[in-house]
This record gives sequence, C-alpha cells and structure tokens, in this order.
Amino acid sequence: MLEEVSIALSQISCRIGDKKYNLDKMREQIKQAKKNGASLVIFPELALTGYTLKDLVYESAEPIPGPSTNLLTEVAKKENVHIVLGMVEQSEKAGAVLYNTAVLLSPKGFVGKYQKLYLPTHSVFEEKRYFRLGYNLPVFDTDIGKLGLIICYDVFFPETARLLRLKGAQLIVCISASPAVRRKFFEVLTVARAIENTVFLAYVNLVGIEDGLQFWGGSRLIAPNGSIISQAKYDDEDLVAGKINYADLKRTETFVPTLRDLRPELFDSLKWQLENL
Amino acid sequence: MITLELEDSVLKLDLPSVEAKIKRFIKDYIEKCGAKGVVLGVSGGVDSCTTAAIASLSLGGEKVLGLMLPEEETINKVDIQHARSVAKKFGFNLETIDISPTLRACINSLPVYDKTDKLSKGNLKARIRMVYLYYYANRLHRIVCGSSDKSETMMGYFTKWGDAAADITPLMDLYKTQVRQLALHIGLPPEIATKPSTPALWPGHLAEEELGVKYETLDLILYGLEHFMTTEEIAHQLNISTRLVEDIKRRWQTMEHKRRLPLTTKLGYRTIGADFRLPYTA
Repeated sequence: MLEEVSIALSQISCRIGDKKYNLDKMREQIKQAKKNGASLVIFPELALTGYTLKDLVYESAEPIPGPSTNLLTEVAKKENVHIVLGMVEQSEKAGAVLYNTAVLLSPKGFVGKYQKLYLPTHSVFEEKRYFRLGYNLPVFDTDIGKLGLIICYDVFFPETARLLRLKGAQLIVCISASPAVRRKFFEVLTVARAIENTVFLAYVNLVGIEDGLQFWGGSRLIAPNGSIISQAKYDDEDLVAGKINYADLKRTETFVPTLRDLRPELFDSLKWQLENL
Repeated sequence: MITLELEDSVLKLDLPSVEAKIKRFIKDYIEKCGAKGVVLGVSGGVDSCTTAAIASLSLGGEKVLGLMLPEEETINKVDIQHARSVAKKFGFNLETIDISPTLRACINSLPVYDKTDKLSKGNLKARIRMVYLYYYANRLHRIVCGSSDKSETMMGYFTKWGDAAADITPLMDLYKTQVRQLALHIGLPPEIATKPSTPALWPGHLAEEELGVKYETLDLILYGLEHFMTTEEIAHQLNISTRLVEDIKRRWQTMEHKRRLPLTTKLGYRTIGADFRLPYTA
C-alpha cells in the first residue's frame, strides 16, 4: 500500500440528467488529474446526473456495477487511478428502489459502493421522497489506503465518520451537493470530523446552479490535525490536488489521542437516549 | 437556546456575496434556456431599477431591454427621470410605450366596466403591461425578468398574472429593505434606493399606506414568520400589537393562490402542481 497518496478534488458543475455530458467532463478531469500525478480523483455527490433531478431520478438511475460505472472503470484502468463519484443507484431487485450512492473504482476494477445513510428531507431537500436509506458503512482496503465514503448530510452525524475510523479508515471521502447558504456548517463540520477522528478527510462539493440552488464548491483536503492541505475555489469549477501521508495519522493520534480516549459505555446511553427522544 | 432577536441587523446582507449570486443566477439561467437576453418592466421604482441594473451587470446592458409602460392617470415624471438615469448609468436600453390607448380600448370593450372599481382597473393596467413585456420577449427571443421582492410576494401585494408574471425573479428572496441595501451597494442613487414604493395602480397609490405598516417593520414581521416565530413573540419583540402581526400572517397565508400554479383536483397518476416534479432547466 502507498504511504503517500496524491488526491485530486474535481469540483465540477453538472448538466441535469445529461449523463453523457457529465461522463465526458469526468473523463477529461481524470486525464488532467492523472497528468498532475493523482492516484485518486473524487467527484461530487450525484455528479453523474446533477443533484436536483426531481422526477428525472427514475430515468437517471442504473445498477452498480452498471453501464456508467463500467465505462468509468475502463477509464480507471487506462489512467491507472482510483475514482470516487456519486450517482443514483437502482436496485437490481426492485426498479423503483433507488439509492443516493458513492462508488469507488480502481485500476483493478469495481471496488465497492456506499449508499447514503442520512437523506436530508427538509428545507429545499427532498431525498427521502426518492431514495431508500442505506444501512452499511463499509471501509475499503485498497492500494491507496483504507477508504471510507460518506455523502454530504452524513457529515452532520459524527457517528458516521467515527464508525468508519473505528473500522480502520485512514481517509474519509465526503462527496457533497451543498448549497451556498450551508457553507459555514460544512466548513466547520468537515474539519471537526477530521480532528475528532484523527483521520484524513477529502471533501468534494458540487458547483453551479440547479433550480435556483447555488452550490458553493470550496472542496478541500483536510489533515488529521484539521489543517487544510489544499482547497478549491468557491463557486467555480476547479481541479486541485493535494498529497497525504498516512504516517501523519500516528503522529496526530499521539498528539490528540481521541481514539485511545473514547468511552464505549457512553454509546449505550446515547442509544437509549435517542430511542426515547 | 438561541433566541431570534428581531433587530434591523437580521436583515443586513453580505452585499458582495448577494450581488455575485444574483448576477450568476441571471447569467446561468439565460445561458441554460438559450435566450438572447431579458426584457423587464421599468417603473422607476427601487425594485425595477435594481433588477434592471443588476441584470445589466450580469449580462451586459445590450442584453437588457427595459420597457417603461406609463399610462396617463399615474404617469410620474420623476420616476421616468429615475429610470432614464439608471439606464444611462448601467448601459441598458430603455423604450417607452404609453399604454393609455390600450387601456382605453380595453375599458371600452368591457361591458362590466365600473369606473368606481379602482382595484380592477389598476390590475388591468398591470396585466396590460405584462402583455407588452411578453410580446417583446417573444419577438426578441428573450425572457421576462420580474422585479418582485419578498415582502410584496409574501403579502400577495401584486397583481396576479400582472406585475409578478415573469420567467425569473432574481430579487424575490430579498425583503424590500434588503433590496434598498442592494440598490445602494450596486450604485443606485439614494433618491431611488430610498423612495417610497408605489404599485401605481391609481393616482397617489403608496404601498406603505395601503399595507398599513412601514416596510422597516413589515420586513421584520415577515422575517419572524419566515423563521417560525409566533405572532405573540414577534409583537412582543417589536413592541407592536399582536393584531397587526396576526393580520399580516393571515394575509401571507391566504395569498398562496397568487404564488402558485392554479389548483386542480387530483385525478391522474401524476398531477401538475402537486406530484409532477421536474427541474426548471433539464
């Protein structure tokens, strides 16, 4: 496994429902990122289709693995990179059962997927109308480290990143479609998730305007001590890269030993309190 | 617990950010729908002057056409001067069409016309202006850019299918007092940014007189309602009567029919305006 990994944050805007256009754009971004030496290229939440699909969600969904992931797997092989992207997943068993899913592809092929646990259905968000909740938080052991995936609103729930870290994740990838009015929350929470778990966190947000929602970009690669290794522009498309070195994890864990000091007995109480809220 | 304080400061905007977002929004929509620009009605009031100015900053003045559509009963030379000065400063084209003959023709062809009903006549003026705007938009392959603000939209203080009829309304998430802030920020002169609002449906028609409350107070009441505050909390904080706040809340809620597509009854699989949901630009 590589100790040092170069990560590209591909902050793109998408055309709603236009998978061909969005795939072409991703392919170009991957090529560019590879030229810059990236081993992992990350795209935003629902980057294959755009975020504000509404009822177009049904015609945009596909199984995973499926046509689009197969195509991108070929790109991953050709360019020798890992890829994370968000897309609408259709269940193989029930056509109208959809997930808001993050996919991980590698030069060796399809690695795995994560189905979003926390689906925002408030304010301008209506994800529970369309998507089924995910139930698993897998950690993928790859040539570029142990990766966990979360999606956007998941970052408001510290237990998601914590569980990934406890399962051994060294890098948490958070893909997102966050509108501008929520920027302050994400800027704080992404750093907090990295610090409290002593883990690297790569946050990649959408940009562009969809149905009046302006996505703010500001993608960033965050070190376990909360420092920003690299950051993309606000509000515009951007492709930035940053290097992480897993040796930093141990150094930070020694300085801020949150994992050592975790108190498991609190989790029983948390569960009871939540069930009786 | 965080208590929401209804002070003027809650309506303060991050003006550079708001300006950038509105400009991006207009440009993005025009590009996505393939229009050649915008047409908008310019009365010389703060909302329409601000909309025309920011549209020009976004698209370039050559893609912005302002139509001044006065009629003889309510024509105001100061408003016309203001509109012209803004057009000159921000570089957009301005045309003037007197709608009085059209209004007279409509009136003469209306068997039920009643000259004592000034509201129906006033609404007719707003709807005639809409007809002109959409004719120009069709002819020039442009879209109609509305200038409604959040205060009047929440209050339903506009003519249904009249002045609020538009393809985009860039200022609709800004209260009136916030539009005034934005107007000053982008360089409109104070005499336009701060002048009293009027729908000009009849002579001497002033918004604050008709609404019965100053915009400075109304905007804070509406902000409180937007943030789920109770009428009692709002009245207490602003030291005004609960009755006034309740009246405004009732008006806001009963005017929803003016802000949405016409209601139908559900008969089909997916119903327009209910569960037929598509993105604006796909």
